[in-house]
Amino acid sequence: MDGGFTDIEARLARLRGGQLPETYDARKIAALAGNPGCRRRSVLDAAAVEKRRVASYIGFPAPFGQSPFAMARESAFQAQVKDNGAMELLALLREVLGLDLAEAHYDDLGDVAGNVNQGLRYAHTRQVLTAVPQRRGTMFDHPLLRFRVAGRHAYLQPDLVAFRHDATFHVVMVRSFPVIDGQADSSGVAAAAIQSAVFVLALRDLLAGAGLDGDAMVHHETVLVTPRDFANQPVASLLDVRKQLATVRRQVARMDRVEDIIAPLPGDLTFDLDADDKGVPRRRPGDLADAVGCVPASYSPECLGACEMCFFCREEASEHGDTGVLGKAVREDLGGIESVARALRLARGQGPGPVPPDLAEAATIVRRAARLRGEAMAGDGAVPGHGAVPGAGTVINEGTGAS
Amino acid sequence: MTTLTALARALAVESGYAQPVRTVRHVHLSDRPLVFIPLQLAGEANAPLAALVGDDREKPRLLAVYEPRNRNQRFEFAAELAESVILPYIEGYAAGEPGEKDAYADAPQVLVPGPAAVTFTRLLGRSTRFRRTDGEWAVPASVPVLGWWLTYLAERAEHPSSSLLLPMTKALSAHWATGQSEAEDQNLASLVRWIAPPPGMTGFEAAREAEDPQAWPPAGPATDPDFDRDVLVGLIAMIRDASGVGGAALERARGALAAALATQLEQTWALMWQGVDLLRSLPEGGHVAGRWGDDRFSFTTNMRYFREGGFPQARRDGAVRAAARLSRLEREQRELEVGSAYDDPLVMAEYRMTGEAFRGTVTEAQRDRRVQEPGKKGAGALRPLIVVEAAEDVLVAPDAKVTCPAHPKQKGVVRDVRPQPGGATVRVEIELSGGMGRGSGPAPAGTMPAVGEAVVYTTLTGEFMPLPKFPDPELTPWTHGGPPPPYVPRDEDGNEAWQ
Amino acid sequence: MDETVEELEERITALRAGVRRAVLDGDGPLAGALRRDLRHAERAWDAALDSASTDSASTDSASTAWPGTDAGDAAAPVRPGVMHVPSARDPAGPGAEPGLGDGRGRGALLPLREQVHEALSLLQVPAAPRLIATVHEAFFALAFPTARLTSLRRDEERSFRSAPFARPYYICAALSADYLAPSRGLLAISTWPAERRIIGSLSPRVDFLVSAINVARAIEQVPEPVPAARALLSRFAANVRGSSGAGGRSFGPAGRIDPQVVIRAAQAELEVHAEEDQRTRAGAARRARDQLDDAQQLFGAGIRRPRSGEDDEDEDEDGRPGRKAAGGR
Repeated sequence: MDGGFTDIEARLARLRGGQLPETYDARKIAALAGNPGCRRRSVLDAAAVEKRRVASYIGFPAPFGQSPFAMARESAFQAQVKDNGAMELLALLREVLGLDLAEAHYDDLGDVAGNVNQGLRYAHTRQVLTAVPQRRGTMFDHPLLRFRVAGRHAYLQPDLVAFRHDATFHVVMVRSFPVIDGQADSSGVAAAAIQSAVFVLALRDLLAGAGLDGDAMVHHETVLVTPRDFANQPVASLLDVRKQLATVRRQVARMDRVEDIIAPLPGDLTFDLDADDKGVPRRRPGDLADAVGCVPASYSPECLGACEMCFFCREEASEHGDTGVLGKAVREDLGGIESVARALRLARGQGPGPVPPDLAEAATIVRRAARLRGEAMAGDGAVPGHGAVPGAGTVINEGTGAS
Repeated sequence: MTTLTALARALAVESGYAQPVRTVRHVHLSDRPLVFIPLQLAGEANAPLAALVGDDREKPRLLAVYEPRNRNQRFEFAAELAESVILPYIEGYAAGEPGEKDAYADAPQVLVPGPAAVTFTRLLGRSTRFRRTDGEWAVPASVPVLGWWLTYLAERAEHPSSSLLLPMTKALSAHWATGQSEAEDQNLASLVRWIAPPPGMTGFEAAREAEDPQAWPPAGPATDPDFDRDVLVGLIAMIRDASGVGGAALERARGALAAALATQLEQTWALMWQGVDLLRSLPEGGHVAGRWGDDRFSFTTNMRYFREGGFPQARRDGAVRAAARLSRLEREQRELEVGSAYDDPLVMAEYRMTGEAFRGTVTEAQRDRRVQEPGKKGAGALRPLIVVEAAEDVLVAPDAKVTCPAHPKQKGVVRDVRPQPGGATVRVEIELSGGMGRGSGPAPAGTMPAVGEAVVYTTLTGEFMPLPKFPDPELTPWTHGGPPPPYVPRDEDGNEAWQ
Repeated sequence: MDETVEELEERITALRAGVRRAVLDGDGPLAGALRRDLRHAERAWDAALDSASTDSASTDSASTAWPGTDAGDAAAPVRPGVMHVPSARDPAGPGAEPGLGDGRGRGALLPLREQVHEALSLLQVPAAPRLIATVHEAFFALAFPTARLTSLRRDEERSFRSAPFARPYYICAALSADYLAPSRGLLAISTWPAERRIIGSLSPRVDFLVSAINVARAIEQVPEPVPAARALLSRFAANVRGSSGAGGRSFGPAGRIDPQVVIRAAQAELEVHAEEDQRTRAGAARRARDQLDDAQQLFGAGIRRPRSGEDDEDEDEDGRPGRKAAGGR
């Protein structure tokens, strides 16, 4: 750790202000991989700002919530597969990992003699997982791992880690979405895959820290355990997460280079809520919104399911009239033109000034589209029913001449 | 997404209102559709929670499951859904016995809010069609019947040209472009309000307002997590407690749950019928009736199979069936595209945009041109030639086969494409055949485009390659798993736990 | 209540038949009407049963109260968790039959600790509340909510500390082999040898196999096992290699599991683990006897703070080659 790094740490702490750093879990780290190009998100995440709180305070609460039924179901299914010495899980692991009959050890690392202190649990996990192989065990429940993100360590707890006679570890995920006739919800599988990749990296770090060959020992195939069909009977599948490993690695490396993003920002910039001693924020919301606005975002509709700042950024992008608000495909179909107003001006052939050469092709496309739309809408005369809809049937002024 | 749709979205942003991207309606809309809005319990595999359902917009029927994690209550829900709504509705279209080649005059049409409700329908069908009506896990006789029909409807929903089970968001967003993204169009409330905002508001404002799940509950099947946490948890616990007491307390608790669920469904009900009105406001496209005819025929065939005691649909298709099905779906997709383009100048404009169609004015027409085919005697075949001058890019190449939607039976072959001096127009020569009668003279007036007429020619044609021949399932090569055993329901299917 | 439970049951049977006929005849409206009647009758049946069980509960509850358990249980005779009878329509026991005969009355008279003792005595190994409740339901015809077991161990410890060995047995903890701390969520019986109450790395599996054997043996002794018992055995069988039929993991109600097969398979696997497990347990039990007082031996050593930060060595391995002793550093 060098001095430069400490400067960055101090700068990030200033950005965060008086708030406690947000703790990362695998879900949040996995979400970082969502929009790696967004500077706003990189800075807020690197500074461990609690985005959810900031978003609500500036008037754009994030629409993320999880139903208590979903949470209860998830923990009930977890408990079920781990009941009775993890009998169901062991039967599945024997099947998918080819465990020997003798490999039936089960160690609960959820506490150390009743103590749940994270540092202690992490040390215990490290000790147990790095023991000599013949004394190592098979199933490790509630292990606690560490993962370095943006210069800070986050503690992560995989559902379970399995160790096999060939000296390989497999990360095990237990999820309650069903696999019906061999088909599972693809977004659920994708989320499980990227989260398990985070665990794989954290586990590799742990082993490497003990002088072991973590990359070789932690398998890139993770085990996903889900209910089968409509019953509670569990079924295990192997997930190859090599691609996800690369994605997470790349994104995390990027966050470690956050100084490049911070450098041009005003030195006194902070996202502090300026809470009083009762925790009530005193900062003017508009002021905080301005501070957030200092860091450029790259909003796209994909942010809606992935980032707590999404509604704020969408509003900002809408006010700018960004074509990206409509989706990447729309922007591409409009020849890459970034502004709605400009796309429409080009489509209508309204100046001011000549079409810049680098937009000539895009202009040709949108003008042609505008002309064709105008012809089609007008060609068949009145379209019945549209009268009821205000604004419907807006026809673009025809562009002059074809191409 | 096409440039024309993208442009319409940009216009929607500018105006604040959704913009039409179709001039006619390309889906069939029944006079008496059945609207079905299911809700499911979060976290469970297809656990029905409630449904608002019916074919009379004034009289929706609310079905509720008072303990969604109880399998018996799930089957009671399925039985009630079957007996009180779905099966009578379907049976209503299947009176009598049409001849072998005939179809029923009409077919059922089920409208659901969106694709997620189609998935729900498929899974509800999957979880009920194998149920046994005898033995230890017996369910009411109507349950597997419901499963049979829901499975059928969900399968049809994968056919691009079918309207038997129609997701409303898909139908609406196919006809209007909003000033938001496709992802946001999945929200039925915000989509409908972009298209038809209440007076005094722009579509943009109305849609944003509809993003608050408290004021505008999600259209399901997923419920608002806050509703689950703040309302549902307490009510379900109350019912469980009252179950021990029974009587009035239980009735009260159930009443409270039903009322709470109704609040999550009523606005979606209104939005669904508003969507029906919006779709009805568009005139029906010319090819819609034909596609609906395919739906009617499919319904008739399946009703016949069902009444003959047909087995429930297999869990998975064998290799041959799956390949044949995929090929059929691709062909339907192509037919739908062509039909839509012929019916709708806005769709045709998309093909003009990509150069697969062009529009121009007929400047010459040789109505009596004949061509002597090699080795044949006589006056030669009637092959009129027209010249079309197009004021747009023409990407169609010589020898391309083209058709004019106004003369769909007449074939054209492009003979020459030549940009005119000055570059403003393109001169296209097209040789025509067919659709001009059998007379010996020139093509009669009206049977082919005339000089001065504005015409569209397109390489999209209604002619298709015949479906590839697939081997009989019995001849499935071993590389594709070998011949599948014919599907016969097994005990295991019916005994599958549903907890 | 206008009709008796028996009258209601007759009516329900008749209505079910009527609904089926109406559906087969394609008479939708009639089927719908009959189903409505059926549902009313079923609700009435539920209510009748519930009021019947409430009646008996209020007479029993005085004797079920146990000093030291939550006073709320005794004070709320209307909602007795102990008396909860799983009906066929209850999520807790799908398939449980409404009428179970004599066992219920006997079980209901026992205080909770006695019921736990019954179940643990059958299993003969430390078990989690959920398994204890399942076993009790399966063999003693009575289910109880597992939530009530969480306070039991604390109550027992209090009782032991105020008057050691005053009772013939206590419901106590199982101890982890490494730290001799109470193992999370497991209950045991104080009169068992210390080795049996120690949980090493292999013990969860070993104890599961022993449970499977004992459940299978118990089933053999019951002439007509209730569905809950058969379900428990088939669930266990599905997770013992070589103990269930084709497919290995199907536990539909149709397939009856042969208890002897389960016993043989579990014993075979047990032989693989027995020696290593015994060694761990014996060593830890020796340490427990040497280092812990009586109460600690039953309820576990208190939480010990580590000396310092992360790089703590295990402090209680005293040179023995315990599995966790040898660090990889």
